[in-house]
Order: sequence, then structure tokens, then C-alpha cells
Amino acid sequence: MNKFLDRFFHLSTLSIALLTLLVTGAIFGVLYQEAKPAIDAFGFDFLIDSKWAPNLERFGAFPAIVGSIMSTALAMLLAIPLAIGVAIFLSEIAPAKLKSPVGVSIELLAAIPSVIYGMWGLFYFVPIIRDLFGGLGIGLLTAGIVLAIMVLPFMAAVTRDAMNTTPDILKESAYALGGTKWDVIKDVVIPYAKAGIIGATILALGRAIGETMAVTFVMGNVHKIPSLITDPATSIPVALANEFAEADEGLYFSSLFYLAMILFIISFAIIAFAKFAFLKRGRK
Amino acid sequence: MTHVEKRILINKIVMILSSLSAAVGIAFLLWILTILVINGIDAINWNIFIFEGAPPGYEESGLKHALIGQVMLIGVATLIGVPLGILAGTYLSEYGGLKSKLANTIRDISDIMMSAPSIVIGSFVYAIFVAPFGHFSGWAGIIALTIIMVPIILRTTDDMLQLVPTTLREAAFALGAPKYKVILQVVIRGAKTGILTGVLLGVARVSGETAPLLFTSFNDNFLNTDLSEPIASLTVTMFNYATSPYEDWQKLGWAAAFILSMFILGLNILGRLLLMKRKSK
Amino acid sequence: MATIIDIPEEKAIEVNNFDFTYAGASDPSLKNISMPIAKNKVTALIGPSGCGKTTLLRSFNRMHDLYPGNAYNGEIIFEGRNILQEKEDMIKLRTQIGMIFQKPTAFPMSIFDNVAYGLRLKGIKNKSELRDRVEKALKDAAIWKETSARLKDDANGLSGGQQQRLCIARAIAVEPEVLLFDEPTSALDPISTQGIEKLIIELKEKVSILIVTHNMQQAARVSDYTGFMYLGDLVELGKTEELFVTPAEKLTEEYITGKFG
Repeated sequence: MNKFLDRFFHLSTLSIALLTLLVTGAIFGVLYQEAKPAIDAFGFDFLIDSKWAPNLERFGAFPAIVGSIMSTALAMLLAIPLAIGVAIFLSEIAPAKLKSPVGVSIELLAAIPSVIYGMWGLFYFVPIIRDLFGGLGIGLLTAGIVLAIMVLPFMAAVTRDAMNTTPDILKESAYALGGTKWDVIKDVVIPYAKAGIIGATILALGRAIGETMAVTFVMGNVHKIPSLITDPATSIPVALANEFAEADEGLYFSSLFYLAMILFIISFAIIAFAKFAFLKRGRK
Repeated sequence: MTHVEKRILINKIVMILSSLSAAVGIAFLLWILTILVINGIDAINWNIFIFEGAPPGYEESGLKHALIGQVMLIGVATLIGVPLGILAGTYLSEYGGLKSKLANTIRDISDIMMSAPSIVIGSFVYAIFVAPFGHFSGWAGIIALTIIMVPIILRTTDDMLQLVPTTLREAAFALGAPKYKVILQVVIRGAKTGILTGVLLGVARVSGETAPLLFTSFNDNFLNTDLSEPIASLTVTMFNYATSPYEDWQKLGWAAAFILSMFILGLNILGRLLLMKRKSK
Repeated sequence: MATIIDIPEEKAIEVNNFDFTYAGASDPSLKNISMPIAKNKVTALIGPSGCGKTTLLRSFNRMHDLYPGNAYNGEIIFEGRNILQEKEDMIKLRTQIGMIFQKPTAFPMSIFDNVAYGLRLKGIKNKSELRDRVEKALKDAAIWKETSARLKDDANGLSGGQQQRLCIARAIAVEPEVLLFDEPTSALDPISTQGIEKLIIELKEKVSILIVTHNMQQAARVSDYTGFMYLGDLVELGKTEELFVTPAEKLTEEYITGKFG
């Protein structure tokens, strides 16, 4: 009886574990299948076509792709120096009493749902941008900044964790030669934690590119490549969020799935790259 | 200036910049929390819990539909996702181990899926569970949330089970227990707190998801407890109300935001307390 | 109660009534230590775990200041000044009093850059000067032969014993007056240990050396003077041959004969 139960338990857990692989594969498969009509209709030109006109049955993903890349790039540009600064503060500067509360606050920031970042962005940040730059206040710039604030806590936490792996004795050796805190960080901690820091950055990038709610409120969903950074634009997640429910017929839907497939492949690749190239868990 | 003096100056500058970065980070946190609390408390009253949604301008409107819908979606997703996640994590730790290629592949894929765009998962579920049936449904939303939740629970269970010392397992085997009993009665029990923490964090994460619900469970302005129909959720309601031009709806949006954040922060803090209690044992 | 001999040589460092309390501790870890460190000689500190020998060692280059809340009391006189004072320039102090740690701590950079690190910190940029001083340091640390052909290679490619010599080369490149060794061979195999011990004896011509070791035989082999510590007190300081053969204090004798560890 025990033998049977043992085998049953083993198989049950195995099949459920395999299920996760299956689902991932299914996602790739289903996305491809749904996107196929659009792939057949537009081919790779989909990626470089700038015209997105549902009523004309003409769909080009270029503005969405460019919007994704540009908003993410802007967000990373703002977030990276801040995140490294926060990580340095948390791992090397903060007195013991501050380390915990500040560190925990940063981690709690990461737990706030992205939809709330979006609401804050819409009601409180958009007017500021509007006052400073004119226009609607909704657009690439606002989206980039809100996205940066969203990505900051995660990246700061992972970077801090990477820096904390530097052995004390190595840091003390540099201090013992007369180094300042910055000398030690620059010459010992950062080279030692280099892989973890780069990995954290790329991982954050992978998450940022797939971010929907923080950006949907403030991007505008205009399928045009913005001429000014303050112009409304769109990104793949924003287009999906806004248009999925409206899409009424085949090619529109397929084009949206084509977008979803592109997004899935890009973010999967980026995250996998970060993981395998930089964030090895030492499982050898 | 000597080189040494220059180094000391640069050090000071970097220290100031880092502290400023931390201050900026905390400032944004405080800003967001403050407006959340101010707008939320301003908007909260008993009506929220008594009335369901209504067209804008109606006195008697509330969030009852969204709250109940959210609880149902999260609740059922948790009931399905947690056992699946724990069992899969058990396989990884107790049968797969650290060297198995299959186990490591599953771990890697789960890690990646944890960071994958949730809107894509929503699209996937739409294709397999909404389109064929011709309508949105609570079940579709639940499936989407489960897909997001399982990798998180799987990974934390895997990690927590691995922390249980091998000697504990060996002692149970030495008493003649079959493997499944060793796992259920000794190992999982030993990692109980850790697994619970993982569950709390998984639920917190999933509670805040909006994108995967946008075209699966969709939304409903009225109370609906039939999961085979579209159902309201706090997150989607928040999104709709906040982006609407109606002030009373926007107010309800902030109330929803406040309730949701307090819930999620509460779960996170609870998870942390559990983790600390475990460490002090 | 303690027996501290008076040394005939010039003193590199003099410790007067030194107390040390760790942050948050109610009692001091070091109590009223007074001792001389002889110039160009090797002084060893021995004693059971927890006796405070490493705590004392790390006070000389004020390593404790890296961790807030620690409190010094008393004087440590070096080059005519009390280095425990607030206004002491710690960066300068650490270029004059260097330290070698329990495990080899090669920085993640090339062999050349490791040894040149302290020199670059001082502002020495001239390429030929750097090359000369790095070569001299590697020679003085008896590791020039193994490294001259691969100065640009990553330091982590060296063996444990070689890395520790590299760390010694790195420390002596800045030409300090004093070198502090914190159990330098505890992570090394017997042959590497032998090499390091030989090096320490050679180095005393140029620097004054203070070495903490849990290995009594090592202390007997390399040092001129030995100090025995117990529970935060310096129980006895004497010439090494005399301390090991005819210790003045009963406690010292009990430790040396293995009555306690």
C-alpha cells in the first residue's frame, strides 16, 4: 500500500511540476497560433510599419515597439544611477539603525501594485509635466519617469543584495591600505559584485518592458512615433491594455496577438539573458 | 590638492550623492503613500461596503461588487494555485534535487515566468478560455491569476524545503517511514513557516494584478457572484474609475486603491514578521 | 600582576593603559593594556580564543573605526603621537601601519594592479616608478619569480600561499613602518606556511612586525618577543626564548603546557 502511495505521490508532484513547463510552452504556442493570420498578412514588415489603422485593416507595430524601447530606455536611464546610489547607501553608508527601516521601505515600495503608480502618475505627476512643458502632460516623458520610479525599488534591492555578498575581509584589506569608502566601493565591491549588479539591471529592464498599468494611465496610446519627448505615444503593453477589449474582428485581434507574441519573446529573452549570463545561482 | 585630498573629496561627494538618492527614493515612497492615505481616507465611508457600483452621479454607489469580486477571484486562485505550487515545489526539492536537469529547467523557467509580462498571460487566457466561450468570465481571470501565482509558490516552497536539514529526513527514514510520509509529515511540517511566508507573498503579488484581468474577468459594475460571467475586481474597477472623467467615480477609485494597498502592505508585513520569527527560533 | 619586560630596543609603538569596548558591550574586551612593540623585531601575540589578541591588533590601524560604536580608551603612541585621537588621519595612518589578514584577500584585478593599489591611492601615476616599486615589493615578498611573467593576469589565478605573499607585497609596496599580521597562515598548507614564516623573519629588517597567532610553535619560530593574553588582559610579555622556557606567570605556563586551550 505504501509503495503505491509513494509512487502516486511521486507522479502527482512530477506531473504538476511538468505542468508549469507545459503552460509556458502553451503560451508560446497559443500566441503564435492567434497571431498567425497577422503574421501571414504582414510578415516581418509588421515590425517596421508605422501605420496602425484598425478601420483600414492596416497594422504596423513600429510605433508600439519604438514606444516600448524608448520609455524603457528613459526609465532605466533615470533609475540606474538612483538605484546604485540607494544600494551604496544601504550597503555601505547607512548606520545600522537606518539600514533596516530604509531597506524595508524600499522593499515595500516594490510591493505597491503598479496600478497605483499609474494613478499617482495620472493625478499628480501629469499636471507637473503639463506645467513644466505644456501640452497634455501625458506622453513618453511622463511614462518614462513613472516607470523609473516603479523599477527603482526592485533594482535597488537586488543591487544592494549583490553588493552585500562582498566579503568583509576583502573590504577591510582595501581600507587597511588607506582607502576611502568610495575607493573600496569602486575598486573592490563593484568589481566583486559586477555580475549581480549587471544582472539586476537587465532583469529590471526585462520587467520594465512588460509593464502595463503604471504606463497605461500616462502614455496616451497614440500609435505614432513621438516627435517630442512630451508627446503622447504608445507601447506594446499599453496598446494591448487599451485595445484588446475594443478589437472586433479577426485581423485586429491577430495583430494584437502578434504584438503580444513579440513582447513575450523579447522579455523572455532579456530575462533569460540576465539570469544565465549574470545571475547564476551557483547551483553547479 | 594632493591626490589623497582629491580622493577624500570625491569620497565625500559620492557619499552625499548616495544619501541624496536614498532620500529621493524615500521621498517618492512617502509621496505616494501620503496621497494614497489622504485620498483614500477622504473617500472611505460605510457606503463603500454597502452599495455596489452605480452610474456616475448616483448617491448610492460603492465598492461592494468590486470587493466581493476581488475576494472571490483571489480566493479561488489561491485555493487552486497554492496546492499546485506547493506540490510542484515539493517535486523539485524532494524528488528532483539540485542536480536534476529537469528540476533545474523547471526552476529556470519559473524564475523567468515570475518576471514575464502579466498582460501576455492575460492574452493567452483570453485565447483559450474567453474566445472559445464567447464571453468573459471570472474563471478566466482565476486561471490567469493562478498561472502567475504558481511559479512564486513553487520557488519559495522549493527553497524552504531545501533548508530542512537532511538529517531530519534521514531520521524519519531510519524509523521506517515511506518517502511520501517523510515529506508530508516531517519535511513540509519543518518548512511550514517558510512556505506560509511564500504563500502570503504570492497572494500579495497576485492581489495587485490588473493587466491579466482586463480581458479575462473583465469587469462588472454590479454585484455578481457567478464566476462563469464577467466579474468585478478591485484592480480593474480602480483602473476604470480613475481614468473616468467623473469625480465621484474617481473618489471611489482612490478608496479602492487605499483598501488594496493596505491589504497588500499588511500581507507583506505579516510575511516579514513570520520570517523574523522563524529566524529567531 | 602582569609581567611586562622593558625592552632595550627602540620602540616602534608604545601602548599605554589601553582599554577597548565593542559597541553595545557592557564590559571592555581589552583591559588596561600596556606594552611596547620593538622596532625591527617580530612581536607575537598568543592566547586562547576570545582573549582579545585580534581585537588588540586591529586597534593599531584603527580597523575598529569601520564599525560604529566602538570605544577606545588610553594611548597608542606611534611616531610621537597618540593615534587614538579623534583628529588622527586614518588614511595616512593605514599607509604607515599595514595589515595582512587571515585569508588571502587578493582584489579582483591583475597581479600588478593589486600590488600597485596602495601606490595609486597615494597618487603615484608615473608608469616607470610604479613598475619599479611593484617589482621591488614582489621581490621583497619572495614572489617575483612566480609572477614576473604574468603581471597582467588576474590575481585569483595564484595559489593560496602565493596570494598571501601577493597581499604581503601589496602591503609593503607603500613602505610602511609597521606590519600587522592577523593569523596569516591559518588558511594555508604547511609548506606555504613555512614560506610565509621565513618571509616574516626577513621582513623585520625593514619593518616592525606584530603577529597574532593561535599556533604557539609558530610564535616560537618567528618572534623575538611574545605576549600572552587571556580574557582581555596582557598577562605577560617577554623575550620569546625566555617566555616559552621559563614563563614568569603561572597562567602563561599553564597555557604553554596545554593545560587549557
